[in-house]
Amino acid sequence: MGSHRARWIGITVLIIAAGLIAVLATRPSASVAEVQSPLVGHTAPAITGTTFDGATFSVPIHPGHFVVLNFFASWCAPCQQEGPALVAFQFEHQQTGDASMVSVVFGDTVSAAQSYQSTLGVTWPTLTDGKGKLALAYGVSDRPTTFVIAPDGRVVAYIVGAVTVKGLDNVINAAKVTHA
Amino acid sequence: MSTRSRPFRFPLWIVLGVVLIVALVIGSGVLNSAPMTPAQRAVGIETGIKCPSCEDLSVANSSAQTAVVVRASVRQLIAEGKSDQQIQAYLVSRYGSAIVLVPPASGWSLLVWVLPLGGSAVAVAVLVIVLVRRRRNGIVDPADAAREETALDAVASSDQLDARRQFLEQSLADAFAEHRAGDLSDQDYQALRRRDTARLAALDIRMVGTSGVALAEAGPEVSVGTEPGESVDSAPATPKTAASVPGPRRSRRQRFLITGAVISFGAALVLVVSLYAASRLPGQTPTGNPTLSQQAQIQQSLTQAATLEDEGQSGEAAQLYQKVLGQDSKNEVATAQLGWLEYQTGVQGKSASLIADARAKLDQAVKLNPSDYAARLYLGTVLLEQDNNAPGAVAQYQAFLAANPPADLLQQAAAVLRQAYTQAGLPVPSAVPAA
Repeated sequence: MGSHRARWIGITVLIIAAGLIAVLATRPSASVAEVQSPLVGHTAPAITGTTFDGATFSVPIHPGHFVVLNFFASWCAPCQQEGPALVAFQFEHQQTGDASMVSVVFGDTVSAAQSYQSTLGVTWPTLTDGKGKLALAYGVSDRPTTFVIAPDGRVVAYIVGAVTVKGLDNVINAAKVTHA
Repeated sequence: MSTRSRPFRFPLWIVLGVVLIVALVIGSGVLNSAPMTPAQRAVGIETGIKCPSCEDLSVANSSAQTAVVVRASVRQLIAEGKSDQQIQAYLVSRYGSAIVLVPPASGWSLLVWVLPLGGSAVAVAVLVIVLVRRRRNGIVDPADAAREETALDAVASSDQLDARRQFLEQSLADAFAEHRAGDLSDQDYQALRRRDTARLAALDIRMVGTSGVALAEAGPEVSVGTEPGESVDSAPATPKTAASVPGPRRSRRQRFLITGAVISFGAALVLVVSLYAASRLPGQTPTGNPTLSQQAQIQQSLTQAATLEDEGQSGEAAQLYQKVLGQDSKNEVATAQLGWLEYQTGVQGKSASLIADARAKLDQAVKLNPSDYAARLYLGTVLLEQDNNAPGAVAQYQAFLAANPPADLLQQAAAVLRQAYTQAGLPVPSAVPAA
């Protein structure tokens, strides 16, 4: 009788452990940069704001080319890490005309962000987003966060963490195949 | 056998259950019929929304930038007339379902709600079964008990039999005491008494058989466990002793089940209370306010507005003051406080129209109640700061001081009061605290 009970207890524990292992094994690991967002696959919220020089800037609802929207802060190490890659990406796609960059200051002072970007040699528009409306509209909770928006205005990628030129190119090439 | 009627007594668990239900009803806020203010709605929503950049912290309890943004968004959406569900849906559409701290009652999340309730139901069922079995086991046929005891005592030593006898006597005395206190029904008491007296009789027969000791030698005969006027003929008993003879022990499974059931029930109770006991919003009383008069509602709104003002939420406070003026256009407190908030906002935003509107409100508040010290203080400050009219300000401040303002307000206003009196070339009154 006792051995039967022990056997059943053992089997139950094994089943529970196997279930836990299966759940944990199928979850995306923390190192995967591209994560799920309710926005992916949906029309991107309007990108409108004020640039460093006080001008109003808007991205059209259907931009006609890929838009890489990057939320950053000057003091954040991963943002500093990805900065040169973004500049390279912009330079590369400026030639082809299939993608452009827009940055949004997130959790930083305008002066610090402006100083950081001028050091980096940024030429694309950067929005100050003083009241955090854009961050809220895109559900940004950490920095850096990058969205890739397709020419038809839909969000195709949501990346938390430092991006690379290759990574962004892969996202854009995959989206081109999907949307072809 | 006596069958005296006893006063009806509620069992303790019914009293506890009633207290719990009343507490849950009060805590849930269903008695609170007063409409929620926008600020209260905002706090309620914010408490259930997770701070996007924090771990397990609501936006209401976080000062992170993301939490501030979400809070501002919630208040803006409320101002736009959105319902709580619409606001939550908007945030979920941006941040995902993880933004909601309370899991939805659908899909896999449903388990979070169903399992505790199911568990508690099982726990209660197990508890009831165990208790019923226990009671049934306690009421046995006296003849069966006697046979069982005889078989048991047949293998016991003389000392063990003595201890056994003392235990049965104690059991009879306890049952009698419980019966007299009303904790044991007549039926149960009689059953227990019959059982134990039968056991005692069987035990005595065994003791006589083994040691030849007469029962009379055991001690003076007393009547233990009987009603007054009754005696237990078949069970002469010795005086009560304090012998601590262990009684029949529950089986391990029974103890395990009872412990598990009690723990599960307690956990479920804590869960239910925490789920349904709504957090109190600023100005809400713990017992709700089912029948508030309009005057009481106005007073509550004023208290809430003052709290919000102290917390620096001047926009929400201004909305509440406006609401009060909607109910009572001649409320001098709301008029004065709204005027002062408008003045401060107008100064910060350099808005001449807002300052003029504020001045009109403060004038009106003074007319409504000339002895309102707050209105006098605010109006005096406006005269001093905007018109550089020190004599006019001093006139208002004199009325302010004459109305015996609270000490803390006087302390806050001391600097501006001294400035006005000095500019007007007048001595500063002794009531004004020194710098």
